[in-house]
Amino acid sequence: MTGIVIAGATRTFGTVRAVDGVDLAVGDGEFFTLLGPSGCGKTTLLRMIAGFCELDAGEIKFGDRRIDRLPAHTRDIGMVFQNYAVFPNLTVAGNVAYGLKARRVSGAELARRVEEALGLVQLAGYGERWPHQLSGGQLQRVAIARALVIRPQVLLFDEPLSNLDARLRVSMRSEIRDLQKSLGITAIYVTHDQEEAMSVSDRIALMQSGRLEQVGPPAEIYRNPTSRFAAEFMGTTNLVEARALGGDRAGLVSLRPEALRLAADAPADWPQVGGKVAHVEVLGPITRFDVRLADGSLLKVATLDAPHLTPAPGAEVTLAYDPARITVLP
Amino acid sequence: MRLAIPHQQRLPLAIAALGFLFLGLFLLYPLFNVFSASVLDGEGEKFTFANYVKILGRPFYRGAVVNTLAIGLAATITTILVAVPLAFALARLPVPGKAAIIALAAMPLVLPSFVSAYAIVLLLGRAGVVTQWLQSWGIGFGSIYGAGGIVLVYTLTLYPYVLLPTMAAFKAVDVSVEEAAQSLGSSPRRTLWTVTLPIVIPAILAGGLLVFIETLENFGVPFVLAEDMPIFAVEAFKLFVGETAPNPSSAGVLGVLLIAMTSLVLLIQRRFLASRRFATGARAAPPILRVGLGLRVAASVYCWLVVLLALVPFFAIVVLSFMEFRGPVLHPNFSLANFAALFERSMRPLLNTLLFATLAAIGVTLVGVPIAYVVTRLRSGLASLLDVVATLPFAVAGTVLAIGFVVSFNSGWLILTGGPLIMVLVYTVRKVPFAVRSSSAILHQIDPSLEEASISLGRSPLQTFGRILVPLMLGGILSGFVLTWVTIASELSATVVLYSGQWRTLTVVMFQALEGGGGGIATAAASTLIIVTLVPITLLYRLVRRYELAT
Ligand SMILES: Nc1ncnc2c1ncn2[C@@H]1O[C@H](COP(=O)(O)OP(=O)(O)OP(=O)(O)O)[C@@H](O)[C@H]1O
Ligand SMILES: [Mg+2]
Repeated sequence: MTGIVIAGATRTFGTVRAVDGVDLAVGDGEFFTLLGPSGCGKTTLLRMIAGFCELDAGEIKFGDRRIDRLPAHTRDIGMVFQNYAVFPNLTVAGNVAYGLKARRVSGAELARRVEEALGLVQLAGYGERWPHQLSGGQLQRVAIARALVIRPQVLLFDEPLSNLDARLRVSMRSEIRDLQKSLGITAIYVTHDQEEAMSVSDRIALMQSGRLEQVGPPAEIYRNPTSRFAAEFMGTTNLVEARALGGDRAGLVSLRPEALRLAADAPADWPQVGGKVAHVEVLGPITRFDVRLADGSLLKVATLDAPHLTPAPGAEVTLAYDPARITVLP
Repeated sequence: MRLAIPHQQRLPLAIAALGFLFLGLFLLYPLFNVFSASVLDGEGEKFTFANYVKILGRPFYRGAVVNTLAIGLAATITTILVAVPLAFALARLPVPGKAAIIALAAMPLVLPSFVSAYAIVLLLGRAGVVTQWLQSWGIGFGSIYGAGGIVLVYTLTLYPYVLLPTMAAFKAVDVSVEEAAQSLGSSPRRTLWTVTLPIVIPAILAGGLLVFIETLENFGVPFVLAEDMPIFAVEAFKLFVGETAPNPSSAGVLGVLLIAMTSLVLLIQRRFLASRRFATGARAAPPILRVGLGLRVAASVYCWLVVLLALVPFFAIVVLSFMEFRGPVLHPNFSLANFAALFERSMRPLLNTLLFATLAAIGVTLVGVPIAYVVTRLRSGLASLLDVVATLPFAVAGTVLAIGFVVSFNSGWLILTGGPLIMVLVYTVRKVPFAVRSSSAILHQIDPSLEEASISLGRSPLQTFGRILVPLMLGGILSGFVLTWVTIASELSATVVLYSGQWRTLTVVMFQALEGGGGGIATAAASTLIIVTLVPITLLYRLVRRYELAT
């Protein structure tokens, strides 16, 4: 199918640089996610690709073809919206058939493809229902079927799961990923949920203030963040002065809570620091606790639940950390 | 070369261009001609304020300004005094038959107010049915001609303008605000005065301003009731049509002054009311208050009384139209002679009314809906400008716009006077603001991502408009169409300036019968008009009901 190449994409609203010189290459068939805090420009970038937002500068290509000057309706894109955007005046089948009819598909071919697409999203037999008779999760499936059925070059998702409840979010996201992989359509997915991004993506672009902060596979960004922002946005971390951990260089390092353990439970060659337990939370599968170091800084620690090792608040403890999992930040 | 206009804005911009073209030619150009007639000398060459000096130097016309404003103000106050308690009772008190009351209360909005005025004359005028009956008992009362009668008719016909928004506002008050006041130690009565009323005041004032503007522009009611009292819209008409010689420059002066007054009121509204909206984001509708039996009975009687009283004149006209008139004098015998007299000469007035209303309502829809699309979907100064221009007809009295049309299109490259098209065009322009308002209200409810979904699935913006927006707006467009249709059917103020020969409408027949004292034909025309109005409204109501039941 198609890879996407974005070069120097820029868009300003008044004084806000919503997208600021973004360069990006998304591979053919890749599941690519734009991740970032609210207002960082994810939606704007996605809408540039879809054709609903003009570029002030830069260009966007699908394969070798430049598309940023084409009208939106000729770009051959399947888009899934946050609020579903299912047409309330059409039945489920009518919604799914909408894009096919625009492509002059008709008759038995139309019916077959609609039924096939509904089957893909597990809505077989729902064709004659009206949107107002469906639940939020079902509406989102209709929206996905409607985008898939036209076999677009590119699939775009703008926070498609944020209106669903937590459990449904988890099951739908793997469904979306499986569908995308089985059809092999290049997908760009927008979310501000780090866990969701990590679970579905081949690669993630972390965005901040209209710029790309870091691009890479989820595990790589998590394990080797290149900036303080990336380290903090991708999950919880300890940002500490290297000296507080007994290092000899100045500067900040990032140390994930799960890279810390009680010394008693750790390999002998891990460096150690001592402190006093300030706070303990038993969350079920894992236990979190905060340890105050001698210089007053606080270290967050996360361990798998282990009843005999859980410290009490106020206790003096010795921690050990995996030296390989320290990330030095610039 | 890259085209400067982004694709997603091309359709709105094309519509905006057409909208400006239409409104420029059929609104701004006629208004400009009214204005220039008012500031040019007799030869139409030199710029002068002499016409203004001449008109405003005459106590008669200064009196017209004062009368018009005073009557408008008085009617606004009485309307508010009648409508606000009604709104409160309907929103918050246990009153039996609320749905029926509300349906009946909206009816004066679509029934022609001058018919009500005429009915008042037939009932309470010098030779009125009630007057004579009372006189036979030796009871007399003051004259209903002049300011008192006009204010009475305005109150009875315009109160829904205040009632409907105020009732909605009373219902939208978040109950927790009132509960907060009471938990702070405020009695229910004090809470009403210090919390609830202040929240609904913007709605009351907004309705009151509509009433005020309606009174400034109204032609029919003062024409029937004012007698010798000079009133603006009537005098502009008389000056233009001319008892002696037509006088466009003096009529122009009155027209410009009238527009200035209404625009001023509208500006005040935009400035002060727009910013004073207290959104309380009601989560829970306020409960119906528990009150004693006395108050409950009083409230119920009041509600039914106001609503029915306002409809009595229309009812009376229908009854009277089936009685025998000899000249202007009424005899209490059942007779179909009035209708025979009305229709034997010609069916044309009825057919003209139906034809014009249909054509103009189609025109209003075709112009208003696309403009509303631009106004809600295009975020730019151009869209706001179009909005302002499309709202302008609201500030222009029908008489004045009609004068502008006659002045503009009676010679030159586009001659419309004397034909039916000029009437259809004026009606269309006059009702555009209402169509734009109601359509943009619907469009604001439609999520723009539906359009984007359609476009990304391969439909062009124009196809998307036809396939997604129009079907979604259909219910609203249809009810807008019916409301426009009925208000056009009973349009009088522009019609009396524009009609000619065979293109008379029912309202013109009534108007001429009033002038000539033909009471029988006037009542028959008025009844026919009421039926012409009520049939589509009832059909619409039933359709809406069935639709609501279905979903
Ligand atoms: N049409 C617009 N007009 C003006 N400013 C805009 C417009 N669209 C976006 N912005 C601004 O551009 C910036 C980026 O917005 P964008 O919607 O792309 O953020 P986002 O990353 O999708 O955020 P969220 O997670 O909240 O959806 C914001 O500061 C926003 O206020
Ligand atoms: Mg967004």
